[in-house]
Order: sequence, then structure tokens, then C-alpha cells
Amino acid sequence: MTMTPAARAVEVWKVYGTGEAQVQALRGVSAEFERGKYTAIMGPSGSGKSTLMHCLAGLDTVNAGTVYIGETQVTGLGDAGLTKLRREKVGFIFQQFNLLPTLTAAENITLPLAIAGRQPDKAWYDTVILTVGLGDRLHHRPSELSGGQQQRVACARALVSRPEVIFADEPTGNLDSRSGTDVLNFLRDSVRQHGQTIVMVTHDPNAASYADRVVFLADGEIVDEILSPTADSVLDRMKKLDRNA
Amino acid sequence: MLKAMLRGLFAHKLRLILSALAIILGTAFMSAAFVSGDTISKGFTDLFSTINEDIDAQVTAKSDVPSLEGGGGEALVTKVVPQDVADKLKGLDGAESVTPQVVSDGARVIGKDGKVVASNGPPRLGGAWPANINEDPNLELRLGTGPTAPDQVVLSANLAKSAGVTVGDKVEIITLQPRRTFTVSGISGYKGGRDSLGGETFVYFTLPVAQELMLGTTGVYSNVDIKAAPGVSQETLKQRAQAVVGDGYTVRTGEETSQEQASGIQSFLSIFSTGLAVFGFLALFTGAFLIFNTFSMLIAQRTRELALYRSFGANRGQVLRSVLLESLLLGLAASIVGLLIGFGLGWLLTRLLRSTGFPGGALVISPWVVIGTLFAGTIITVLSALAPALRASRVAPIEAMRDAAKPDKPLRRLTTFGLILMAVGIALLILKGTKTLEDNVLTLGGGCLFIFIGAVMVAPALSRPITGTIGKLVDWATPGRLGVRNTGRNPRRTALTAAALMIGVTLATGAGVFASSVKAGLSDIFASELNADLILQTDFTAGPTAGFQPALMDQVRQIPGVSTAAALQTDGVKLANRDEFVVATDAKAAQTLFTLEPREGEIRELNSGEIILNDGFATKTGLKVGDTATMQTARGEAKDLKVIGILASSQVVTNPLISPADASGFRSPLAQQAYIKVTDPAQIEPVRTQLKTLVADNPEVSVSDPSAQIKQATTFLDLMLNVLNVLLGLTILVAVLGVINTLLLSVFERTRELGLLRAIGMNRSRMGWMITVEAVLISVFGALLGMVLGTALGITLVKIFGGNFLKLTIPWGYLIATLVLAVIAGLIAALLPAWRAARLNVLQAIAYE
Ligand SMILES: Nc1ncnc2c1ncn2[C@@H]1O[C@H](COP(=O)(O)OP(=O)(O)OP(=O)(O)O)[C@@H](O)[C@H]1O
Ligand SMILES: [Mg+2]
Repeated sequence: MTMTPAARAVEVWKVYGTGEAQVQALRGVSAEFERGKYTAIMGPSGSGKSTLMHCLAGLDTVNAGTVYIGETQVTGLGDAGLTKLRREKVGFIFQQFNLLPTLTAAENITLPLAIAGRQPDKAWYDTVILTVGLGDRLHHRPSELSGGQQQRVACARALVSRPEVIFADEPTGNLDSRSGTDVLNFLRDSVRQHGQTIVMVTHDPNAASYADRVVFLADGEIVDEILSPTADSVLDRMKKLDRNA
Repeated sequence: MLKAMLRGLFAHKLRLILSALAIILGTAFMSAAFVSGDTISKGFTDLFSTINEDIDAQVTAKSDVPSLEGGGGEALVTKVVPQDVADKLKGLDGAESVTPQVVSDGARVIGKDGKVVASNGPPRLGGAWPANINEDPNLELRLGTGPTAPDQVVLSANLAKSAGVTVGDKVEIITLQPRRTFTVSGISGYKGGRDSLGGETFVYFTLPVAQELMLGTTGVYSNVDIKAAPGVSQETLKQRAQAVVGDGYTVRTGEETSQEQASGIQSFLSIFSTGLAVFGFLALFTGAFLIFNTFSMLIAQRTRELALYRSFGANRGQVLRSVLLESLLLGLAASIVGLLIGFGLGWLLTRLLRSTGFPGGALVISPWVVIGTLFAGTIITVLSALAPALRASRVAPIEAMRDAAKPDKPLRRLTTFGLILMAVGIALLILKGTKTLEDNVLTLGGGCLFIFIGAVMVAPALSRPITGTIGKLVDWATPGRLGVRNTGRNPRRTALTAAALMIGVTLATGAGVFASSVKAGLSDIFASELNADLILQTDFTAGPTAGFQPALMDQVRQIPGVSTAAALQTDGVKLANRDEFVVATDAKAAQTLFTLEPREGEIRELNSGEIILNDGFATKTGLKVGDTATMQTARGEAKDLKVIGILASSQVVTNPLISPADASGFRSPLAQQAYIKVTDPAQIEPVRTQLKTLVADNPEVSVSDPSAQIKQATTFLDLMLNVLNVLLGLTILVAVLGVINTLLLSVFERTRELGLLRAIGMNRSRMGWMITVEAVLISVFGALLGMVLGTALGITLVKIFGGNFLKLTIPWGYLIATLVLAVIAGLIAALLPAWRAARLNVLQAIAYE
């Protein structure tokens, strides 16, 4: 059981459009994302990072290949199956507009559980809340929170249902460096302390350095990876990729 | 620049079509009303000018007594032209032919089922068969022969069909005289295959029989038709005829005759087309809310876009113009579509009416209808877009950089202003109620309008607390809770959408409260003041000449168990120079039966030449006991009546009472009602049976009792209410469109949010549920507002018009039904937006900017 990776892509192809306008966003990508690990996906703009993530999360369909979340084969699931998958096995953090404006921070955090009709595990909920570190602002509306606070709430929401894997697409893209650091620390702690699996797309080498492993995409193919990255080693590798391109 | 801005408008096709639909519906109804009205009216005018082609002047006897139908053209002839006057006209200078005619309302044929062949309004004419049918310009014999013996009749084709008889059959006919048996000798129709002119039926007798049965005596005519010799104008002929007959007679030219005849039939038509136009206008008015809301929302969404234009250097005027131009184009396009649909509806309507006997040719489209409809539809659209357009023009360039989601402006000012308006409205109504202000319609209408507009302004402040409270019902599950929150999110939008629904519901509830109060009032009166156990009642659709011989009461009084009985003979007369209905009856018996008390003078059996006034008439005229009032009846001579008593206020008797001896000049010698009291309740059924045998030969009279009377009155009220509600349903339909529109816009605005919900595991049906909760909350909120306002309106009407005749009653069942309807309306309105929301592609929704 522990042997199966949290998420797995096998020979995944994704093609947008037809004829002249055809774009091959993913060209036979195979990748495994180990449980309890924090993986960053990097690459030039348009290299297919978001597309890969969407395909992994079952938000988008693939043209060929197979995607697994845990032991579940994602490719081929219908809407009901995908909804169940999202409810139980996947968490999301987006770049912006992540929270429902009509709900308080606390309500936003428990929303996935409420939707699934589950009771939050009290101990886990408290742990998550403590990690978010929002204190008394927990009962405020998103419009009354800073961007960093909002994004931490979004992270907590992804965590609270203990999914097999959390996908984050440029979670710090809209934040200043201090708020960004808060969010990154939060994500890393959830991996280190609670064994959460996270796959994060980013452009920022510094953000990538929080991960256990960085996967590099270029033109829809995985071209490289680094284990235990530092900001410098990531930057290095990116420069090299740019030169090759 | 303008082009680019306009492109922004047409990018939102669905929403535009929905808001345009309201305008389309409104203009369609309006134009359909006018077009069909005009078409039928032209049909009648054409018809009558054809029929009266051979009439250049027509002589009738003058009547001082008001027509029962209110308008002109009463078909029942009460004043006749005697033989000698007709003879004097015979040699009229300039006349080619002079034809005395006999025709009057009130020939009722008894059908195969033993019931009188019913009429839904048009007269049931009886008259003399023309001397020479082959020369008649209009009439033709379709089957058989004309009547040659006193017991023969010709029936019009439509009448023969409804009665189920044909040539050779026996048929019974009631006229001024009780039923009599005739043999059908022929069937007639108009040339050109037409059975009737406007649904009327016709029985043709031989001349003396027609005179006796339709006019009351032989040797008299209803009118004399004169055809001019070549070269003599209608006007000249009219003047010469007038000189011959003198002041006691009215002479009309052929043209005037046609107009008179047409106007009589058309008064009913105009009620119908006015009603349709009013509801078209209501739909437009409701549509105005929709347009206002749609434009407000579109502009809120396009704030960034507009600010961007402003930052490019577009000035306020340009932005304002572009939004107004959008609304102008939308209004015009919708009005044109509405107009065309209206023509179609009008065509269908005239077809439908033609199949029931109305005339009407090609659709008459007057330029005024076209201009009026286009103008009304367009102007309402532009006016409703004005406020949003002004708001758009005030968008500052800086807002292009800011987040579009601005916090809501506070509602304080709006609410305060709304409360002030409501207070002014209430003050107006109170002033009117306490008679401090006299002007009826203006204070009432103005007061209601102020309250209504005030309520619309206060509604946003109420929307969150109220929808929140109702929302508690669905708060137990996440989709429900989210739906409730979304409803409270934009109070103005929610309130405006609900306000559109409020209009229809307010009117419906107001009418409902009024109707139920009338019902309760009626029951009360019957219970407290009516002291009768059984009633003889004439079918009120049978016309003014139906009824039973007052002498029948002698037999009624002979029935064992009857303690008191009185017949009522009612007719419209001119009394003390006023148009008034009077009742000829046994006043002594009436006192017992209707618990009458004298306010002045006494109540006793009236002698000829005496009158007892009701309280209202005495107050109006200032007549006192001992004064005399002159009464002019339809058929008789003027007579002075001495006032011997004045009734204390009564709910049952609201007309003056006279002696049956003075009723000889009434239109009909028959009584329409009789009230009977029995000695003890056990006698009711035996007496009822006896009464039934007494009137068994009279299909227009039935035996009834107070509770059946109440039921009949309430059935009628319910029918009216249903008709009203069907029409108000139209405004509710428009309001539902508004809810759909608002929700679609919201779904569109919240695309990202919906995508997020889907991404974190909400399934399609729950998304739908969430939207549905919002739709139902908005509808219920609108319905509640409308019910509160409508109930207040109903109470006001009852207080102002009611006196003690109405008993204020709130129709709870009706209100609950309205609420249920609102829930259903919400469910229906949710379908499309919910489907849209559920169908959102999660990925696109998230990527959506
Ligand atoms: N819906 C779509 N239709 C057509 N082409 C698309 C669509 N979405 C993405 N693409 C194309 O697929 C390729 C990969 O896009 P993707 O969004 O995955 O890039 P990315 O690596 O996330 O870029 P960025 O760093 O700019 O976010 C790009 O060439 C893009 O133009
Ligand atoms: Mg991307």
C-alpha cells in the first residue's frame, strides 16, 4: 500500500485544437509522485505545467495514457466518479480567487467536509487551524483578510480533508515575498509533520527550494529533475534549460 | 469606440433576450388588444352600414328612461311608434319607401333540454317577418317558408342550431307573455352565409303576433325605416321626417343609426380590449424592473471594461450615450418583435371571435397602434436603463485597476427615502379615508403608488434579514446554506428581482382580500338582515323581460307553511330626475322579510302614488317625508309619488320601494324575485317542493334559498377573481423571467466560485440545489412583500369603499396558495440557471477571468 505513489501519470498525451491550430501540451509524460513528498513542477511558460496538473487531478481529460491517484484510475471516470475523487482524494490550491466570499475563513476551511457531509476530525481540525495561525481572524470574511492570509486559509481547506494529494498551481504567484514565505512554510510543514503529499507548480526557484524534488517540463516533456533542491541549484538548472531551448 | 462598446452588449445574448422577452410580452399584449379591437370595430361599422344601406332615416319613439345597459343602443324597445304616426310618414316628401318595423329584445326560445337557449350578452331579438322577403337587402330564407299563421315562426340559423330544432318542429317561446307554442316554418340567415351580426338570435313572427308579443300591443311599431328617393340627402330626409312626427320621436340618419347600433354592441368589446391593454401595460411595467436590473448587472460586470474606455479618454457623455443607445436598440428591437407577435395574437383573437359570430375582415392596423406600441416599449426600456447608464458614466478610470468587486454602497439613504415615500402614501390614504381629502381616484391611486415605490426602495434593506430568516429552513445542508448566503449577497439585486414579482402578487392579494371581504359581508347580511327561507330567482342572464307573474304570489301564500311572501319587481326609472332602480313590492311583507326599520315616517303597505325611500337616495336628494318625487317609467307616463317613509340604513334594500300598482309602466310586467318565509324550519322542504311545481313551467325561474344565493354570488366573485388572476399570471411570468435573468447573471459572475466548489467536490445536483435555493428565496421574498402590501391594499379598499357592507376577511388559504405558487415559480426559474451552473466545465470555470 505504501508502495503505490500518491499520483502517477503514464505516457500521458494532451492535445489542444485540431489541424493548423493544434498544440501538443503534453507529449508522453510519465511521472510518479511519492507519498509524503513535496514535489515542485517547473518549466518555461507554456511548457505544460498547468496542463499536467489538471490532468493529474482529473480536472481535464487526456488524449492518451493513464492517470492514477493512489490506487484509483482517474482516466475514464465519469462526472460522479470525478466528484467523489475530488471530495475524498484531492485537494486544490489556486493562484487567486480561492475562497467563497460569502463564508467566513473557518467556514471556508470546513467547506469540503460540509460538501461531503462529513464531520471534521476534531483533533486534526485543531491542528490545521493552529498551523494556519489565523487566531481571531478565523471568523472574518475573506474580503477582510490579507492576500497571504487568504491563501493560507485556502491551504488549510485543502488539508482539512486529508487528501491523498494536494495540487497547487502557483500558490504564491499573487503574493509578496513575505506572505509567499508564510504559505510555503505552511505547505512544507504539512508535508514534514503530517505526511501530506503536495504537487506544486511554480515559476519561482526560491519556492521550488522548499520542495523535496523538482521536476522540469519543457515543451510538454519531462526533461530533468533535482532531489533536495536549493534556490541556486534550481536557478542553475533553469538557465541551462533556457539555453537548450 | 461606440462600436466596441456596443459589441460588449451583444456579447451577452441570452441575458438580453430574456430581458427583451418582458418587453416583447408587454408590447405584444398591448398591440394585440388594440389591433383586435380596431378590427372588430371596423367589422361592425362595415356590417351595419351594409345592413342599413337601405335606411336613410329611422324614426323611433323618445325615451327619458336611462338604458339598462348603461350605453346607447338598448335592444329592448319600450317606447313605440303607433300606427297613426307610421301612417303619417307614408307619404313623406322625398321618400322612396317607408317601412314600419317590429323588432325588440326578449324572445327566449326553450331548447330541447327544457331550458331557455342562453345568450352570453347579445340580444335575443323577436320581430315581424318582412312583407316581401325577396326584396329584403340583407335577410334570406334558408329553409322552409315565412310565417303565415299566428302560430308559425322563422328562426335565425344560429338559434335553430342551439335550440336543436328545424322546419316543422314545435318550439316554445317566452316573450312579454308566458311561454307559447309555435311551429317552425322556416330558417333564416343573412346574405353572404352569415348566421348573425354579432351573436344575436332572431325569432320572426307574423306582424300582429310580433306586435303583441314583442311590443305589448298590436298596431304599434318599434321603428320606421325610410329610404330616400334619388337626389334627397339623408339630412334633408331626417329634417322632413322630424317635422312630420314632432318632438316625441327621435329621427336619425342612416349613418347615425349604424353608429348607434354599433356602439351598443361595442361597449362590451371595449371592456375586453381595455382589459387586455391594461395587462399589457402591467407586463411592461414589470418588465421595466427586469430591464433596470439587467442593465445594472451588466454594467456592474462591465465596470472594468467601461473604466478602461474612460482611461483611454472616453468621456462621460460617450459612456452614457453608449449605454442609452444599447437600451434604445434593445427596446426598439423588442417592441418590433412584440408588435409583430401582437399582430399575430390579434389575428388569432379576431378569428376566435369571428367563430362565435363577430364580424371582422382583414386585420386593421392603424399607424397609431404601431407608433404607440413602439414608443411605449422603447421608452420604458430606455427609462429603465437611465439610472444604470448614469451609474456607468460615473465609473472612474481608476476602477479599471481596482478589483471589480466593490463593497456595496450603504442602503441607509435609499431606505430612509423609501420610508418617507411610504409615509406620504399612508398619509394620503388616511386623509382620504377620513374624508379630509375629497378627490377619490387621485388620492387613492397616488397613495397606493407612493407606498408601492417606497416599498420597492425599502425592500433591499429587508432582503437580507427576511431571506436569511426563511433560509433557516434550508440551512441544514451546505448547498442550502450557500444558496441563502448568495441571496443575501447583493440586496439591491435580490430586492429588485423580487419587486417584479411583488407587483403581480400585490394586485392579486389585494383583489383576493377584497373579494373575500365581499363574500364574508354578503354572508353576514344574509344571516343578519334577511329573514327569508326560500327565494324565487330569475336567471339573471335572461334579460330584463324575464320573470314570473306577480300574481303568482297569491298562490304562494296559499301554500301551507308559508308565513310571509313578497315578490320584487325591479326596473330602472327616472326618479326625481335621477337614474335609479326602484322596487315594486308589498312593503309590509318586505319589512318582515328584510328586517326594515323606518328612519322617518312609516313602513306600511303602499298605495298607488306612494313611495318609501331608502336611506341613501333620501340623503342624495334631500327628500323628506311628505315631499313628492316624479317617477318616469320606461313604458308609462310620469307620475308623482308621495314619500311616506324613509328606511333606516339596510344592506338588503338599497332602492326606493313603490306600490306594484305603479309598476305598470316597467319594461316588464313580471317580477324577478320573491322572498318567502315559512312558519317553522320543518316546513322549508315541503314548501320548496310546492314552489317547484308552481314554477315548473317557467324555465327562467328557479327555487333557491339564502345559502344558495350566497353560493351563487361567491361563485361569480370567484370567477372574476380567477379571470383576474390568469391575467396577473402574465406579470408573474415576466417576473419569473426576471428571476431567471438575475440568476443567470449571477452564475456567470460567480463562474470561478462555482468552479472552485466543483473542484473541491461538490456534485452537479448540489450545485443545482444551491441555485434553486436562491431562486426560491427570491421568489418567496417577492411574494411575501407582495402579500403584505396586497393585504394592506385590500384592507384599505375595504375600509374606504366598504362601509359596513364589506366584512374585512383575510383569505388565508388564498395567501398560502400564493406562497406555494411562489415556491413553484422559484423552482421553475431555477431550472435554466441551475442547469447552466451544473454544466460548467470545472477547468474553464477556474481559468475564467
Ligand atoms: N484550453 C486550451 N486550448 C488550447 N491550448 C491550450 C489550452 N490550455 C493550454 N493550452 C496550450 O497548451 C500549452 C501548455 O499550456 P499550460 O497552461 O499547461 O502552460 P504552463 O506551463 O502552465 O504555462 P504558464 O507558466 O504560463 O502558466 C500552451 O502552449 C498553451 O497555449
Ligand atoms: Mg500555468
